[in-house]
Amino acid sequence: MPAGRIFSTFLFAFGAATLSLAGLARAADSEGGDAAALKEIRSEVRQLRADRARDRRLIEMLKQELDEVRSEDSHIRTTNQQLQTSTQKLQSSNQQLETKTNKELNQIRDQVTEGPTEPQLARALGGYWGTHQFTIAGGAAADFIYDRQLGQNTFAINFNPETFFRVNDWILFQGSLDAAWNPGTSGASFSSGVADAQIFLNDYVETVLGAFDQPFDDFYEDNSAFWVNRFVTAPLPYGARALVPPSDIGMQVRGGYQWGGLGQDADYTVWVANGPSFDSALPQPVVGQTLNGFNNIGSNTNGRAYGGRFRVYPFPLDSNLGRLELGASTYNGKWQNSLWLNAWGVDFAYLRDNLQARGSYLETYRQMPAGSSPDNRQGWYVQAGYFLSGLRLPFLSRELNGYLERLEPLVRYSGVNQRAVVADEISTTPSLGFSGSQSAFAPHAREVALGLDYWIAPSIVWQTEFDLELPRAGGTLFSFNGASTPTASSVGATPNDRAILTQFAIGF
Amino acid sequence: MAKLSKSILIGLLMIVLLEISAVRALSAESEQEQRKLFREGAQLWPVYCAQCHNARPGSEFSPVQWDSILMHMRTLPNLPAKDARAILEYLKGSH
Repeated sequence: MPAGRIFSTFLFAFGAATLSLAGLARAADSEGGDAAALKEIRSEVRQLRADRARDRRLIEMLKQELDEVRSEDSHIRTTNQQLQTSTQKLQSSNQQLETKTNKELNQIRDQVTEGPTEPQLARALGGYWGTHQFTIAGGAAADFIYDRQLGQNTFAINFNPETFFRVNDWILFQGSLDAAWNPGTSGASFSSGVADAQIFLNDYVETVLGAFDQPFDDFYEDNSAFWVNRFVTAPLPYGARALVPPSDIGMQVRGGYQWGGLGQDADYTVWVANGPSFDSALPQPVVGQTLNGFNNIGSNTNGRAYGGRFRVYPFPLDSNLGRLELGASTYNGKWQNSLWLNAWGVDFAYLRDNLQARGSYLETYRQMPAGSSPDNRQGWYVQAGYFLSGLRLPFLSRELNGYLERLEPLVRYSGVNQRAVVADEISTTPSLGFSGSQSAFAPHAREVALGLDYWIAPSIVWQTEFDLELPRAGGTLFSFNGASTPTASSVGATPNDRAILTQFAIGF
Repeated sequence: MAKLSKSILIGLLMIVLLEISAVRALSAESEQEQRKLFREGAQLWPVYCAQCHNARPGSEFSPVQWDSILMHMRTLPNLPAKDARAILEYLKGSH
């Protein structure tokens, strides 16, 4: 029951009691005093009524205040609950953060303990050194050479560093230098190898500007490095008896693309260069004279040379048929005034497991001045090698089998046909990769080379080669011997010859 | 005015979140692409290199040196660009 109501009931009871007492008193007192008493009572009743009204107002006010307090209390309770929820969420989030931080900290500690990996370190250092970078590669070789006909043995050394300067991911400069210590010289002789810019215009077109290895066939460009050539010597049509210039100065456009499955590629190279030239030390051009090597004499002739090469790889990698390369090349240029040298060739390379084989056939047609018949030549070679890796002979110890599987036996047959040779040009001084055998200069030279390579590392090899020179009879030998016109004599049976070359070669 | 500012703020926040998602997606795609290149390079390396010479392991040169050498090696055999990239990724990754 509300307090206000209790209070008013009490007042009413009190008033009634008072009136009862007043009645009793009046009965007891005299009647004269009744009026005065009644008046007083009325006055008191009024007073009581006024008090009651005031009390009611007070009660209402208190009631209102109480409602307000209750409302505030409810609000405070709600806020408190919200705060508690937020606190719980914060505690949960804090715990998750702490767990995550601890985990990451542990990972960082582990990484710090382990240190950076080599690729990470190398990438970081690469970034540190910048994008313009020099890289040195190349090769070196030392030969021991013995030729039976010459009856001499000697050493020769070559050092062939190659510098690459990479400007960005589409421009590369390349330059090489060749230092040779050959027999018959008092010191090293130096020559420049190649010097060119390789500019990749897009994924399918690249230009090469400068002095480059002749992209005719694979040999000069891809297989002539000391440690890349499986033999110590070059095959006859690319070595002592070169049929096309080994290098040239000019511009190439080249590129490759995949035409089928993975491994089924095709590529092209077209080029324009200063062109061929022949031994200018002779008083007059003759059939069979040798080509000049790397020089710029071609710039004095009447025209440029044009070359083209196309290669195709017919087998996809997943066919398990091995990797077969088929190529065709042509090279055509004026060697003097309006006189052309035209060359064409076809080649192949095949690789399957431990077997590798390659070969080529090429022909050249050289127009000669009036009065002389054409100077036509043919050359070829075919070679094969087989790695003995994986071969285990049960009767050999593990150590000997270890040596055995580093061996690669090889065989090569090469030959050149031409109508004549020039005696004044025949040099029998051995040099690195050349035995000096006179039989190699016969008009119809034939050579069988047997090789045995011992691979110390993928680019370090000790090679041994046994050459059998088996020239055929026939042809003409021109000899100037100081005169302005040559004397011609028939070449009869040229004696066979044998040579041994052994070479330690390293690619770096 | 306050409502406009709030809308702009929410808009910016959404753009940032979308950017982060896009960058993460691209990064994941790039990693997948790198792994694919590495696998393809591992398949091509022993065959394409051995076409002329023994395949040299990635440890012989630093990744930076391989950048230059592979450019040269792409030129000589006219390697398709994507195959050259795969072999480069393999050699650098196996350094």
